[in-house]
Formats: sequence, structure tokens, C-alpha cells
Amino acid sequence: MPEMTYAGYVLAAYLVFAVVMLWDFVAPRIRTRQILRAARLLAARRAAAAAQSEFPPQ
Amino acid sequence: MNPVLRWFHQLGSPPYFDRFAARWAPWGYGLGLLVMGVGIYLALFSVPPDYQQGDSFRILYIHVPAAWMSLLVYVLMALYAAIALIWRIKLCEILAMACAPIGAAFTLITLATGSIWGKPMWGTWWDWDPRLTTQLILFFMYLGVIGLYHAIDDRRAAARVASLLAIVGVALVPVIRYSVVWWDNTLHQGQTVSVFGESKLHASMLPPLVWMVIGTKFWFAGSLLARARADNLYREAGKEWVRKLATGKQRSGSA
Repeated sequence: MPEMTYAGYVLAAYLVFAVVMLWDFVAPRIRTRQILRAARLLAARRAAAAAQSEFPPQ
Repeated sequence: MNPVLRWFHQLGSPPYFDRFAARWAPWGYGLGLLVMGVGIYLALFSVPPDYQQGDSFRILYIHVPAAWMSLLVYVLMALYAAIALIWRIKLCEILAMACAPIGAAFTLITLATGSIWGKPMWGTWWDWDPRLTTQLILFFMYLGVIGLYHAIDDRRAAARVASLLAIVGVALVPVIRYSVVWWDNTLHQGQTVSVFGESKLHASMLPPLVWMVIGTKFWFAGSLLARARADNLYREAGKEWVRKLATGKQRSGSA
């Protein structure tokens, strides 16, 4: 197989493409996970507050 | 009611859209990855080197589809923004705002890969050429829409302001498209590939480009759904269905 000319430039361009696409894939996933985690914590806090008002500490 | 019309109405319901997006986003990403994978393989290992540019022309297989996507996504964003402003459809607001980071990503790829290709071919990383400059302005327009949307706490008000910017900015799209025609002293080459007319690209070099053009569309669909889903969840964060989804009492992706 003949050696690729301008191989460094070609590699750099494809690397930029891969990195940006990877960010595009990961970013919404992280965001969704953060939102669902916050909702889970809020639900837990509300449940704890409800339990406390039902059985107030003596 | 017509089933298609009913489906459109259902899609406007946040829980329904969440299930729809969770189900179909992985398909968009998966198909995009598969089709782009074939395109990249062909681009790097199948097509012969260009007689003048050598192997550097292989960069164009990512540069050109990304450039086309940067324009297409902007038009789509402006369209969603117009629908959102006229008919006050919340889902269209979400979709318009979800378009912005994806379009910015494709524009960034266009600018970076063009610059990398330009160094060995033009002898410079950058030139204030009409095509390059207008493409850079497009990148700033995307950043402007993203910035405006995140600058205001009220999501609906923020989307309305950012939508206005998106609509105004659509005037830039034909300027970018025809910049190589309207300005004579442009460094950027003219149109090489034509959908309806004769292409200047040799037929043997065309298949990877077609694969990449189709692959980026699938990828965009996946990314749009994933980003819109995240924004939809954020806006609905206090609602019961989100709590159920977060605590695992409701499954996602069953639409």
C-alpha cells in the first residue's frame, strides 16, 4: 500500500471530526442524566419531608 | 382523526415526546455511525488520491458534508423557530434550540477541517475570504442563539428571543451559498458537486461523499432527538411523570 501524502493533515482533520462528534454524542447524555438525578433527589427530599410531617419527632 | 395528524398532536405531549425521543435517538446515532463508518472507510482506503492534491483531498469527505449540514441545520432551526413564534408550539421551540449546538458543531468541523486542508493546499491556515468569513459569522450566529437561550431564566421567553435571532440570521445562508459566485476574488473554490447538474468531481470519488452526506443526516436526527429530550426533561423537571421516570417507576422509550 503506498504511503499517504499529507497524512498528518488528513489524520488531524479526521481526529477533529471524531472529537466533535463524540462531544455531540456525550453532551446530551450527561445533561439527561443530570436532570434525572436532580429529579430523583427532589423526589427523595419530598418523600422524607412528607414522612417527617406524618410522624413528627417526639 | 387522521392517524398522522393524531400522532403530531400526541408528539406535542411532553411525556409522549420523551418516550419517542428515548426510543428513536439511539437509532439515529447508530445508523449515522454505521453509514458514516462506511463513508470514512471508502474515503480513506478506497478512492484513489487526487492527481494534484494527493491524499489531502480526503479531508473534503468530512469538510463538505459538515458544511452542508451547517447550512441545512440553520434553515431547519429558523423554520422551527418561525413555527414556534407563530403558533406557540412548545415542542418546536425545543427543537429549534436543540438544533443550535448541533449546527455549531458541524460549523466548527467545517472551519477546522477547511483550515487543516488549507494549510498544505493554500499555504495558509486562514484567509478573510468571503466563504470563510461568512461561515465564521454563521458559527457566531449559532453561538449567539445558544448564548441568548441560556442567558434568560424563563425558558419560554429565552426561546422566543433566541428564535428571533435564528430567523434574522437565516438571511446569511444564501450569502454563504453564493459567496463563491458573487465575489470574484475568492480563494475558496466554486461549486464542485451539483445535485441536479453535472458534478466536477470524478464519479469514482463520489460514493464516499454520498455515504457521508446520508450518514450525517441520520446522526443529526439522533442528536436532535437526544438534545430535545434533555431540554424537554429540564422544562418538565417538577412534573409527576419526570419524577416517575427518574425513580424508575416509568420506563422510557416505549412510544
